[in-house]
Amino acid sequence: MLLSAEKVAKHFGSFQAVAGADLAVEEGEIVGLIGPNGAGKSTFFNCIAGDTPPTSGRILFDGIDVTAAPAETHARLGIGRTFQVPATFEDMTILDNVMVGAFLRHPQRGAARERALEVLELTGLKEQSGQRARSLGTPGRKRLEIARVLATGPRLMLLDEALAGLTPGEIQRAIELVRRIHAQGITLVIVEHIMEVILTLTRRVLVFNQGHVIASGKPQEVVNDPAVIEAYLGRGHARAARS
Amino acid sequence: MKRWPLFALAAALLAYPWLVAGTDSAAFLQDTGALVLLAAIGASAWNIVGGYAGQISVGHAMFFGAGAYLPLLVYQHWQLPPLVGVPLGVAASLVIAVFIGFPTFRLVGHYFSMATIAVAELLRIVVGNWDFLGAAIGLQGPATARGWYDVIFRSAVPYYYIFLAVLALLILATWRMQQSRLGYYLGAIRAGERAARSLGVPVRRYKLYALMLSAGFTSLAGSLYALKTGFVDPDSGLGILVSVQMIITAALGGAGTLFGPLLGAAILVPLQTATNTWLGGSGSGLTYIVYGGVIVLIARFEPGGLLELWHRLLAARRRRAEVRHAA
Repeated sequence: MLLSAEKVAKHFGSFQAVAGADLAVEEGEIVGLIGPNGAGKSTFFNCIAGDTPPTSGRILFDGIDVTAAPAETHARLGIGRTFQVPATFEDMTILDNVMVGAFLRHPQRGAARERALEVLELTGLKEQSGQRARSLGTPGRKRLEIARVLATGPRLMLLDEALAGLTPGEIQRAIELVRRIHAQGITLVIVEHIMEVILTLTRRVLVFNQGHVIASGKPQEVVNDPAVIEAYLGRGHARAARS
Repeated sequence: MKRWPLFALAAALLAYPWLVAGTDSAAFLQDTGALVLLAAIGASAWNIVGGYAGQISVGHAMFFGAGAYLPLLVYQHWQLPPLVGVPLGVAASLVIAVFIGFPTFRLVGHYFSMATIAVAELLRIVVGNWDFLGAAIGLQGPATARGWYDVIFRSAVPYYYIFLAVLALLILATWRMQQSRLGYYLGAIRAGERAARSLGVPVRRYKLYALMLSAGFTSLAGSLYALKTGFVDPDSGLGILVSVQMIITAALGGAGTLFGPLLGAAILVPLQTATNTWLGGSGSGLTYIVYGGVIVLIARFEPGGLLELWHRLLAARRRRAEVRHAA
C-alpha cells in the first residue's frame, strides 16, 4: 500500500468539510476523486498533501505516518501535488520554475538544470523554457505545474483539477501527458470534474458528497449508482434512473 | 550576459576619487562617493532578505546598530582598536537574526514588517537608556589614530576604497547566491510560499538563512559607518530612518536585483546631501519628505524599481526595431 488515509476528518469551526474519509492507493494505480462542488474533495486532497493537517484520522505514505508532517516533508518523501488554481512563479522563467522543483533531489545547479530540461521535454514546454511563467495561458500553466512537480521526483502525484478549463483538444493532450507520467511508474490520484477524463484514465473512483465517501468502485459502475446520481442531480433524477 | 558594462562600472568606480581629485570640491565629492558606497552596502545587504526573499524587514537598523555600536564600545570601555568590534558586531547580528527569525517568520506580509519595526524600536529605546552603551549621548571612537589598526584617515579616499572592496564582496556573494539553490528557493518563497512548500522548500529555514546572510552584511555596513564617523547614538545607529533608507535605496534601484541598490544609492545620497547643504540645518527634515516622495513614486509608477523600467524600455525599443525591420 503506497498511500492509506484512515478516517480522515477536517473541521473548520463547526463546519465539517471532510467527515471521516478513507482512501487506500496501491503503487501504480490511477485513482479518481469525484463529487459535486463543495463535497470536500479539495480539502481531503490538501490533508493528504500536508497543506492542512486533518483534525483527526491518520495518513500513511509507504508506511510512514505523515498525518502532521508539513508539506515540504511530503514533497521530500515523494508526494507531489498541483493546485486547483495554478500557483506558478509568475516572474520566473519556465525553466527556473521547474528548476525549483528539480533542486529537491539535485542540489547542484547544473544537475538541477539538466533534470528540469528533461522534464520540459517530456511535458512539451521546452520551446518556451526561456519565457516568464506569466506569459502562459491556463493550459500552459497547468502543464507547468505538472512539470514542476515531476521535477521533484515524486512516487505519488496528486492532480487537483489539472484538466479543468481546457478545450477538448487540450484535454486530449493532457490525457496523453498523464499516461506518459503513469508509464514512468508514478502513482496518481486525480480530482476531476470531467467524466471523460475519469472514464479514460482511472480504473477506480471515489465519490465524495458533503464530506463523506458515498461510493467507490469502477468508474462505469459508480456513475450509474443512484446515490451518486442523487448527489449530482437531486432526488428526482435518481428515481428516474432507478426505474 | 554581456561583460563590458560590468567592467565599465568597475573601472568608473575605481577611478572616481582620482577623477574628481582635480576639482575645487574634491574632498566633498570624494566623501559623497564614500557615502554612496556605504548606502549601497546597507541596501544590498537588506536586499538579500527584503528583495530576493521578499520579506520586507523594516527593522534592519538593529543589525546596523549592532555593527556600529560594538566597535565603539570595545574602544570606549577597554581602549581596544574598533576593528576588534567588527566581528563581534557580525556575531551579535547573527544571534539577533536567529532570535528574531524564529518567531517573526511565522508572520507574513505586513505583520512581519510590523514585528520587525517593533523589535528595532524596542532595541533603540533600551540602548537609549543604558549607560553602558552611552545611553542617549552615544559612543565615540578614538579622536586620533594610535596606529593603522584604528582605521582613521583624514581623507575620505581610503574609506572609499575599503567600502568599494566590501561592496564588491557583497555583490559577488549575492551573485553566487542567485546562481545556487538558495537563490532559487528564495525566489520561490517570494513568489508563493504555499507552492514553494509543495515543491519541498523548507520555507522557514531558508528565510532564516537569508536573514542571517543579510544581517551579517548589514552589521558590516554599520561597522564601516562607525569606523568612518567615529560616533554613534541611538538615532544614527538604531533609528527607524536607518532601516527606511535601506529599503528606499534598494526599492528605487530595483529590489531583488544585483545592482539596483547601488543605482538607488547613487541617486538618493547626492539628493540628500544636496537638500542638506542648500537648506542647512533647517532642511534636515526634508530628507523625510524626499523619502516619502520616492515611496509614492515607486509604488505608483514602477514597483520593480528603475532597473525594471530600464529593461522594459529596452524591450520596447527592440520590439519597435523588429517591427520596423519587418515592415
